[in-house]
Amino acid sequence: MSQRASTKSRRFRFPEETSVIFALLLLVAIVGFLRPTFLKPENLLNLAASYSISALLAGCIVYLLSMGEIDLSFGWILNLSAVIAGISMIAGVPIWIAIILGILAGTAMGAINGFLTVVMRLPLIIVTLGTASVYQGISLISNKSGSVVPTDKKITSNVFFRSLGGDIDTPIPFILIFVVLAFVVLHLTLHKTRFGYRILAIGSNPEAARLAGIPTKQTKILVCGLMGFVSGIGGVLFLGFRGAVDPTTGANLLLPVVAAAIIGGTPLSGGAGTVWGSLYGALIVGVIGVGVVFLGINAVWSTLVTGLVILFAIGVDQIVRVRKNRAG
Amino acid sequence: MEIKSRKARWSAIALSTGLVLTATGVATPAQAAEKKLTIGFVVHVIGNPFINQIIDGAKAAAKDLKITLKVTGPAGAEGDAQLTAVQNLAAAGVDGIATSVPSASMMKGLNAVIKAGTPIVQFNGFVDGVNAPYVGEKSVESGRLLGKMVLDKIGGASAKGDVIIGNCFPGFPVLENRSKGVQESLAKAPGIKIIGPSDVKVDAAANFAAWQGLLAANPKALAMVGLCAPDVESIGKVNAAVAGSKTIGAGYDLTTGNLAALQNGTAHISLGQTPFIQGYLPVYMLVDSIRNKIKINKAGFINAGTEIVTATSVIEPFGSAPLTFAKLQKMSASPSATRLYYDKIVKGYIKDWQKNLKPIADESA
Repeated sequence: MSQRASTKSRRFRFPEETSVIFALLLLVAIVGFLRPTFLKPENLLNLAASYSISALLAGCIVYLLSMGEIDLSFGWILNLSAVIAGISMIAGVPIWIAIILGILAGTAMGAINGFLTVVMRLPLIIVTLGTASVYQGISLISNKSGSVVPTDKKITSNVFFRSLGGDIDTPIPFILIFVVLAFVVLHLTLHKTRFGYRILAIGSNPEAARLAGIPTKQTKILVCGLMGFVSGIGGVLFLGFRGAVDPTTGANLLLPVVAAAIIGGTPLSGGAGTVWGSLYGALIVGVIGVGVVFLGINAVWSTLVTGLVILFAIGVDQIVRVRKNRAG
Repeated sequence: MEIKSRKARWSAIALSTGLVLTATGVATPAQAAEKKLTIGFVVHVIGNPFINQIIDGAKAAAKDLKITLKVTGPAGAEGDAQLTAVQNLAAAGVDGIATSVPSASMMKGLNAVIKAGTPIVQFNGFVDGVNAPYVGEKSVESGRLLGKMVLDKIGGASAKGDVIIGNCFPGFPVLENRSKGVQESLAKAPGIKIIGPSDVKVDAAANFAAWQGLLAANPKALAMVGLCAPDVESIGKVNAAVAGSKTIGAGYDLTTGNLAALQNGTAHISLGQTPFIQGYLPVYMLVDSIRNKIKINKAGFINAGTEIVTATSVIEPFGSAPLTFAKLQKMSASPSATRLYYDKIVKGYIKDWQKNLKPIADESA
């Protein structure tokens, strides 16, 4: 009898992200039940679009968390990449070249983080404590502590700004389509390539990974470069989506992005990670943010309620996870 | 064991749902039957004493006009988070939104909300290009005024020495304008050397530490001039900690802490930007324009006025009733006393807001 049950449970193995999807759906259902307008498709799509850049970053920070590292500078990499792209556009550099410049700058900043980590033999969190301020400082100097706003018609009428900024009507926002495609690539890279296996192996046991012949230093630099690359993409997406970049853009991304990855099921201890989970985690963070406004929760109470609902979501996730493991 | 965990699970879900329901205050059928206007009020930071005074003004308007007010805003000043709050309020179906606009990156999103039919009024901070009127101070002019008052205190055009300027939020357009105005006035004394503007941070503890460091590095400074709400209180504390300090302390806003610093003589000048009007007027404009079908979807400026306060005098704008320092102190901690004092303004300047609407260029004139 017990053998049969065991075979049955093995047959019905739910994906790793089931618990976080359940928590997300439960939150959507609660807010939708209390305020039915929340469930309008355009609202849900706009919500997803608004949180898509932080979701993209969460998808990539899973790589670092899986490797047992954390980057504190990606918000400022995003900012500086957007500033470089924006200033280049204003200076007359062709738009697509300016975009590539922004992304390359982001990649270089990420790689510098990785290089310093390897050379100084310090955890990435310590290195990026310093580089975050360096990138912020360069950004403030570059934009003269003001906003970078490309206003020239030649620039704003480019398909890049029109598509991301919503001037071209599409059933699904462009930024959302792009981010979902990016998640497919990030998921496949982490779970289906040698590079991905190396990251997980380093996160699981760095010494064993080194002894097994994995080039740990190169892999670290590559992952940091990837984080910079994705932050650079985030920066140029932000520029296209909002049409400007401010001195404070990216300043408050750290907490929601890391929270999204952790809520999504990626442990801080390394060795495991789920890219799709981070997307659902980002959506949970988004639904909580939107829900607080939809439900008209007083601003003074909203921070407390946000914290309690995050605990609730994590609790539901954990309950489903434990049940699933027992069943498995 | 199984029953226990299920009980715990449902208890957790029920408790959390209950918390959300309690916090939202679900409408009763009677409340639902009485259709009220709902106005969203979005600030750029929650928990700041000056911003709280603006919120109190907005709440007073909501009470007078019998509307529902939904106040929200990010915990840390960041334009994208604030724009998301505005978009969420619009999606939630509010009738109009008043918002401060600290970032240029909010412009496109705000114009989309306006285009979709939700009227917006900007307050306290604005961005060129947003199709909505703005309620706030004349920022360059108020900077000029503060600079002139500081200059008078340190010896006028013949003054010689250092003046420290601190900006808690470099890049914030209104603060940059104030800084420009202060420096314009101080430039009339060729012997004055400007130190800064330095980033003195908006968080109270970091702000104090920044001013402490600035004075330690420039112990002979003639004056410390802040551009944000926490500065006067911090400057006062820094001055108090240095025995015999003669450095003039000046800045903005009439929070309880700032007034205490003026009273005990550790700071000397603070300009108020009538937070009551900055909170009350945007809500009034939205409600009036919605009820009377007045279109407000273009840029414009309504001066909220500047209050000039020292330990010995209080000058309020728009011919308001004379005010003593003691009464001003009481008002800074009492929304009801503030509402009572501004009754004449509510029935005059605010009611006639359409007459007082000027081109947006007037803000930085």
